[in-house]
Amino acid sequence: MDFSQLTANPDLFVLLILRVGLVVLLYLVILQVVGVSRREMRRASSKEYAAAMASTRAKQTVGHLRVIDPGSTNVKPAQLFDIEPVTTIGRAPINTIVLESTFVSTEHTRIIYKDKSLWVEDMGSRNGTLLEQKLVTQPTAVKPNQILQVGDVRFKFEV
Amino acid sequence: MIDRRRYRWTELWLLLLPSLFMLVGMTTLLTVQNVLGPPCAPVTASPIGNAVITTHNLLPPLDALTPAFGLIAALAGAHILLNIFAPDADQTILPIAGTLSSVGVLMSLRLGPCIGQSNLGIKQLVWVIAGLIACMVTVRFTRDLRWLRNYKYTWAALGIVLVGVTLVHAHSFSTNAPGRDVLSIGPGGLSLQPSEILKICLVIFFAGYLSENREMLASAYFQIGRLRLPPLKHLGPLLAMLGLALVIFVGVRELGLAILIFGLFLSMLYVASNRPMYVVGAVLLFAFGAFAAYHLFSYAQTRVAIVANAFDPNVEPNSGYQIVQGLIAFGRGGIFGTGLGMGKPYFVPASNTDYIAASFGEEFGFAGVLALIGLFMLLVYRGMHIAVRNRDSFNQLMAVGLTAVFALQTFVILAGNLKLMPLTGVPLPFVAYGGSSVIANFIIIGLLLRLSENTA
Repeated sequence: MDFSQLTANPDLFVLLILRVGLVVLLYLVILQVVGVSRREMRRASSKEYAAAMASTRAKQTVGHLRVIDPGSTNVKPAQLFDIEPVTTIGRAPINTIVLESTFVSTEHTRIIYKDKSLWVEDMGSRNGTLLEQKLVTQPTAVKPNQILQVGDVRFKFEV
Repeated sequence: MIDRRRYRWTELWLLLLPSLFMLVGMTTLLTVQNVLGPPCAPVTASPIGNAVITTHNLLPPLDALTPAFGLIAALAGAHILLNIFAPDADQTILPIAGTLSSVGVLMSLRLGPCIGQSNLGIKQLVWVIAGLIACMVTVRFTRDLRWLRNYKYTWAALGIVLVGVTLVHAHSFSTNAPGRDVLSIGPGGLSLQPSEILKICLVIFFAGYLSENREMLASAYFQIGRLRLPPLKHLGPLLAMLGLALVIFVGVRELGLAILIFGLFLSMLYVASNRPMYVVGAVLLFAFGAFAAYHLFSYAQTRVAIVANAFDPNVEPNSGYQIVQGLIAFGRGGIFGTGLGMGKPYFVPASNTDYIAASFGEEFGFAGVLALIGLFMLLVYRGMHIAVRNRDSFNQLMAVGLTAVFALQTFVILAGNLKLMPLTGVPLPFVAYGGSSVIANFIIIGLLLRLSENTA
């Protein structure tokens, strides 16, 4: 479209405005949806942050478990889990540390903090709990850097 | 009945934009007719100065405003019903689908008179309204998604029956025309595309099957050297799907549908198992299958030759006409397009169905096509967002699968239009003319809305 024609014919000018307006409207939809998504994300992350702050205040951490071998679960290698005064490991979502694997029982292992030491206890799991490659049959005190195996997942105790 | 605190204000605000788009679009079409004459006639050099108003072939203002207000009313109705049925559902999905459908209705309104189907736009509008009703019915009656999961083999059986019907039907065709999986019902010319319903059935079946077997798919394996493979019995369904895709490719000659089904299965399998090996392996298998098919079937060779030598008049005389016309349409559009009603997209064969993207590209230009792709990307993003927010693995896989349908379809048809791969008759979701496709896509939107409501 020639610009000299635009001034000559107001109808063509109207057409140009309508033409541009149509495409602009499409971009407005995109911008608005992106804006809604951004606000949603910000709200969600601030909610998560508040929840995390609340939980760290409420929870007491008495040690850490470092993942050495994630086995068939979807936990990441070298991922760090907090050990609370009572920590349960198993497949059920109710556990403190949830391991989704067929080799892990619903309630597999419990770690408790007693007499300034951590104690590992098997909860009657099908495949057993191994501490330093030995089957745990009774509550056993652990030292830092010892290896704990639950199902096919191996952890290292860290302070 | 409507909770005022949970009123879907965001959705209402977002729906204003497609409504405005529709109104501006109709105004543009009317103005073009009044200023430049009927949009189908070859536009003469410059009828500037005294605007020529011919009486024939023009839309009277009332006829032009009916589709605009019809679509706006339908969207508003869906918005009010959603406030009652699913007040916490995602608020961006309906506006995105609404925008895409208004593009579709607008293009059908504009193209209809030029390709000898003057009521094409009204028909598309009726399909969109029917789709919105189907969407609302879906949202209303899938409150509990478990019945979908529990009858997953029924859905799979329904899908296989549909493929069977399509296969039998395909043999009654003798031409090489795309869209051979269309079933005609009755003498009224009402036709049905079974593949549109097939894809929803398959998503439900895959989601049910994979969510039950995801642990085994992810954990157990046997090893050949460094290669980890799932146990053979779990490879079964994967190979069956590859087989189904190949049957469709060979039997119905629908490469697009085959890619859609196989891509759907792969993306869901990957999300369920988190094993890239499945994807790599399956893509290799598919490449091998495609290679074999290419050498075994002359049909496949012809399709590739048409694309590869579209501009060569000696290799496939005239068969590249559609592809070349499509590319010319894109090119004529340039960056900002010729403007709605001011181009000549009706020169492309199937300009209202398979080549709707080229028609849109000519009149809205590169800027418009980018916006259209952006809208599809946002739809996919929102779908994946719904999947992430779901806790239940069946629901997650449903959301992923339904979203993948949109992504794959858009990819396949846009690539076909742009001469990046052989053209296949997969409709561009919501935009291409077609009843089955619009209704099926709105049912998918309904399921996505339901999935997002259940997590909120």
